[in-house]
Amino acid sequence: MVEAATVAAAAPIFGDAGLKALGAAIAIAGTGIASAWAEKDIGSAAIGAMAENEALFGKGLILTVIPETIVIFGLVVALLVSS
Amino acid sequence: MRLLERLRGKKPSKESEKKKKGTSNYAYAVTRVRAMKSNLLPKESYPRLLNMGIDEITRFIQESEYKNDVDELAMKYSGGDLAEHALNRNLALTHDKLGRITSGELNYLITAYLKRYEILSIKTLLRGKLYNASVEEILEFLIASGQFTYTFLSELAAKATYQEVVESLKKTEYYPLLQKFDGTNLADIENELDKMYYSSLFEAIGEPKSKDRKLFTRIVRLEVDVKNLSNLFRLKKAGVEQYDDIMSLMIEGGIELKPAKLASLPYDEFVNALQKTQYWDAISDVTDLDMASLTILESKFTRYYLESATTFSHASPLSIVPVMDYIIHKNNEVNNLRIIFRGKETGLDDNLIKEQLVVI
Repeated sequence: MVEAATVAAAAPIFGDAGLKALGAAIAIAGTGIASAWAEKDIGSAAIGAMAENEALFGKGLILTVIPETIVIFGLVVALLVSS
Repeated sequence: MRLLERLRGKKPSKESEKKKKGTSNYAYAVTRVRAMKSNLLPKESYPRLLNMGIDEITRFIQESEYKNDVDELAMKYSGGDLAEHALNRNLALTHDKLGRITSGELNYLITAYLKRYEILSIKTLLRGKLYNASVEEILEFLIASGQFTYTFLSELAAKATYQEVVESLKKTEYYPLLQKFDGTNLADIENELDKMYYSSLFEAIGEPKSKDRKLFTRIVRLEVDVKNLSNLFRLKKAGVEQYDDIMSLMIEGGIELKPAKLASLPYDEFVNALQKTQYWDAISDVTDLDMASLTILESKFTRYYLESATTFSHASPLSIVPVMDYIIHKNNEVNNLRIIFRGKETGLDDNLIKEQLVVI
């Protein structure tokens, strides 16, 4: 009992550090899901185009990773929040 | 957008409904089909083709998308027959490919749409058998799309009489209709097959709710109108005025055209009535409608239909509409090529061939 109470007092979830960590987690999770969702359609479209014309590999690859910027913004926000 | 529609819509209850919906993966299929469309012959190649002889055309085809088909069949056929068989084979393989790269709802609708080639094959077989065409002649016009394989169709073509052909089709949905065929009513049976096709296609589409289904229905209904219009022109020019005769040839389900109203009108009034419809734009530049040949009018209507399909495909980019657009453009390309080399083979004038081509 005593031990558990000290741990909770040392790092409360809804304390400053806990909320920061939660904020960072939400930023990463949200943007991660968002870029995955965006990449899903672009990726399958790129594969479709590539199946017909292999020369489109380069363009397809670039277009597929463009939504990756979303998760990078999330990462930046997460780092800013938790620092 | 589609996700929202899916969330708003009711959940599919019946097993068949589930099969219809499924996951269609539109992004994959549509991009692939668009890439396939970019491989169609550009319009600049048609004037060049018109200047070539049959062997040159075959070689030209051999160097294009049809390479595999020409190579495969070069052992068996030569000249015009080789090109004809290669085109048919390519068309059948393209349809087969569309079936393989699509799934769910998209696949369901495409399969329903492509049943027209099954009907075309049945018509060819019956007509061929009725007029005692040779097996080779019949094989030239068979396109093995849909549920019929080329082997099955060539077996049917080898049958001695049309009764045997009808018997072999016992397991298909066309059998009840084909049973009525007695050797004299071929035209009626053909019309009935067409009507059956369109009614089953409309049934497959169901009540269109989403934007892409509405556009898809619009394309099909536009085609019905274009067909009815061509038929009306033919009938009016041939002097058929009987209401019942005309109405038995009309297909139901068009957008704007009202065959019931137009059927009884004489030619002049019929043309005047057309001025109020959207189809007038397609033929308004034909100076003298009384004198104009049906070929020109029909190719203008086909052009209008093809252009509308392309416009629709831009309105709904991730849907069945671009796939439909590809199917009809591919079909048009095959038709154009066939017109060119058959025209050359029979020694038609280049201008006459050019009139029949629909080049987009």
